[in-house]
Amino acid sequence: MTEQMKVDLVLDLKGLLCPLPIVKLSQAIKDLPVGAIIEGIATDPGVMADVPAWAKASGQELISIEQRDKEYRFLIKKVK
Amino acid sequence: MADNGNVRKVYEILEKQLNQPLKTALEVCARCGICAEACHYYVSEPKVEHVPAYRAEQVRKIYRKKYNFFGKYIPSLVNAEELDEQKFNELVEMAFSECTLCRRCTFNCPLGVDTPLVMRVVRAMATASGKAPEILVMLADSAIAKGENPEIFKEMFIQQVSELEKELKELTGNPNAKIPVEKEGARVLYVGLAGAHTIIPPAIIFNEVGEDWTLSIYEAANYGVFLGDVERAKKIAKRIIDEAKRLKVQEVIVAECGHACNALVWEAPNWFAEKFPFRVRSIVELVAEYIQSGKLKVNPEANSEPVTYHDSCNLARAGGILKEPRLILQAVVKDFREMTPNGLENYCCGGGGGLVALPEYYEKRMRAGKPKAEQIRKTKAKIVAAACENCKLQLNDLNNYYNLGVEVKGLVDLVANAILYNRQKISANENQQANVST
Repeated sequence: MTEQMKVDLVLDLKGLLCPLPIVKLSQAIKDLPVGAIIEGIATDPGVMADVPAWAKASGQELISIEQRDKEYRFLIKKVK
Repeated sequence: MADNGNVRKVYEILEKQLNQPLKTALEVCARCGICAEACHYYVSEPKVEHVPAYRAEQVRKIYRKKYNFFGKYIPSLVNAEELDEQKFNELVEMAFSECTLCRRCTFNCPLGVDTPLVMRVVRAMATASGKAPEILVMLADSAIAKGENPEIFKEMFIQQVSELEKELKELTGNPNAKIPVEKEGARVLYVGLAGAHTIIPPAIIFNEVGEDWTLSIYEAANYGVFLGDVERAKKIAKRIIDEAKRLKVQEVIVAECGHACNALVWEAPNWFAEKFPFRVRSIVELVAEYIQSGKLKVNPEANSEPVTYHDSCNLARAGGILKEPRLILQAVVKDFREMTPNGLENYCCGGGGGLVALPEYYEKRMRAGKPKAEQIRKTKAKIVAAACENCKLQLNDLNNYYNLGVEVKGLVDLVANAILYNRQKISANENQQANVST
């Protein structure tokens, strides 16, 4: 994912359990300008359901979310 | 605070929620101060702001200004005050960061004054006027978004569950072990939390006893409760209630999560003014029943290190789930040590009321968790068991902050470990017998 798109912030969410990945993501996105892209890397499979729902509720754009071995990676674009 | 929209909203919420229990909490206080020592904030840092009666009094002042005759016309006579912006901000800060809604003060109050109920109303006021912590609002709204648009995550969720099912089969050595999803007519709908750690151990237990179960596509957590926002809380709970009705289950079993259990078991029937066509219980109650009925055979040798148990305020004080965790621990742990005090008198861990989700209050909740840390240290236990996700997150943080040198586990983790231990023993015996016969 990172090879194809310029990522402004990589968020290491490994080892964090619900709701902390979403809490960290919400905190991090606040400090970024509109248009910035965050890549999140988590180990809790809960993010596969929580991140799309968070994007929907917060109005941010979920570019992609996928599993790579034991990690879950997602790209979020700040749109507002 | 000029009479702007916020003041109106604050008083609207107060008016709306002013039922008899709230009126009682706002009218009654003997000012005896017994509640001070009952509060973990005060025990940790003895100052007047940490006395529950002081907190409630700050709300009573604005209540008297509107609802007391003298408060309206001679406010100084009854210590009534007009609400202003600064006071409201202080109330909000207090309600979200200096009260975990644990109700230890209520249980110790000779008059049973429910100060946490008053704090919940302040939380509701803050939510209505846009002053509640953004993260709690966002977590509640994300959960609502899942209910309104299950298509945004359902496919990925089911894919993840099939991965977890493979892991379950490997762990148990049982090729038939399953994590069913959306199974109509199942006896039990188990509602986990977001995360494998709340799915795998219960799945081990359900498969071991041959339970007819299915996993909810939703998580049990309900951040609407922490916001004091009944409308949001209802929407979050409704997802699970509708799912249970659709699947025609007989029981909804809630994961190890204190506030979620409180919301679904005790609050939801009132919110919806409905008797649900299914029973709702905590997984702690169901597992205790499996053990008590002999359906689940476990070996305490599996967990040989000393274990203590932290009672979740929501399960113990709000729900009366006191015997069940101990029944489980006596069965699956070799050396169980109670902390003092425990049960109804147990101290809050300091992470309740949604505080673990609010990083800005980390230092505050570490300080508030000091009595709990000391309780744990005195037991000399190596494992702290808890049946609440918020508590577990806080206990892990306390462990690091106070160097307690313990491991934090769920009750279901210990039970699942005991099941796997039995399975390994059986398998080792079978191998030994096979070697002897060859």
